[in-house]
Amino acid sequence: MLGHMEPLDEDAMLMVRYRDGDADAFSTLYARHKGPLYRYLLRQVRNAGAAADLFQDVWWRLIANRARYEARAKFATYLFHIAHNCTIDFFRRDLTMRRAARSDDADAQVEPEVPEYQRPDGIAEFAEQQSALLAALGALPREQREAFLLHEETGLTIEEIARVTDVGLETAKSRLRYAIRKLKQSLLPAQIPDAQPLRTRTI
Amino acid sequence: MDPPDDLDEYLRGDSALSRQYRRESTPTTPRALDRRVRKISREAHGTAQRLTQCLAPLAFAASVLLSVALVLAIVFGPQTARRVDDAPRLVRVAAHADSSPNAPLNRARQLYSSDPQHLRAPSAWLADIAALRRAGRNSEADAELRRFRSAYPAYSADFAIRP
Repeated sequence: MLGHMEPLDEDAMLMVRYRDGDADAFSTLYARHKGPLYRYLLRQVRNAGAAADLFQDVWWRLIANRARYEARAKFATYLFHIAHNCTIDFFRRDLTMRRAARSDDADAQVEPEVPEYQRPDGIAEFAEQQSALLAALGALPREQREAFLLHEETGLTIEEIARVTDVGLETAKSRLRYAIRKLKQSLLPAQIPDAQPLRTRTI
Repeated sequence: MDPPDDLDEYLRGDSALSRQYRRESTPTTPRALDRRVRKISREAHGTAQRLTQCLAPLAFAASVLLSVALVLAIVFGPQTARRVDDAPRLVRVAAHADSSPNAPLNRARQLYSSDPQHLRAPSAWLADIAALRRAGRNSEADAELRRFRSAYPAYSADFAIRP
């Protein structure tokens, strides 16, 4: 999905320099993208500890694979494609752990071992810091939330969001459309009077 | 059918939703996390530099060795390339037993293997040795005879191969 040729952006050139041994180029890249990436991960997994782990993992993957980097697309699509894959892995692991915990709980009737970030107190702590908008964002289906975050945090176009998330253009467009409609309607009815009725369909 | 204005308006930028999100979307990376990532980067960069520093002298040494080997091969090549009896077990022999002493050898059939799977028939081999003798190439004939006797120790054929 990332093989499409595009004019190189400045960050892609920085990544090429980093690949070729310029450590300062990484510092610039990191400074530019750490905030959007951290918020993307934080909003996606909705837990500060897990987001921190994933944040490290994304940068580690980028660093470890820098020798194979080819500037074929906007750098943000490369970075967030890694991030997307990391979150997919995270949600898979999370699902497996929950299933295992449920199974153990049913068998032994003891409290299952779950990561700290999945415990109710951790989730509650995170929820307290949320505004109404972020709470509504968190209530969105993961795919719709991701489309919204990618656009808001990185300015990616729908085509680029489709590439990052490995889906078709229309799917990416639908996800973003439903996300903004739900967010507008559920959070800001007074400020956006022409908001459309809330739909519950997920993509 | 979804109304197009929702998404189009949003994608034009500066929508109320985007403004609201940006006002609230403030968390930044914890400093400890910054330090960890920068450490990962420094370590990776340091490893690459150390590798380069180690590999450069090795590459230089390899180049020097290769150059010396090439010079030695050029200077001493003809002597070291001379065939000796116990060296590669591929031999040159004449092609036909009935060639005259002055007949040119058949170069197309000169290479024979002493591998048991590919040994020549004794008669053909002896004929080739005899042809070498007739051609005056006694040293080659002697070498071939030693190999023949090694391959066929019980075979008596002195009549055909005496100098």
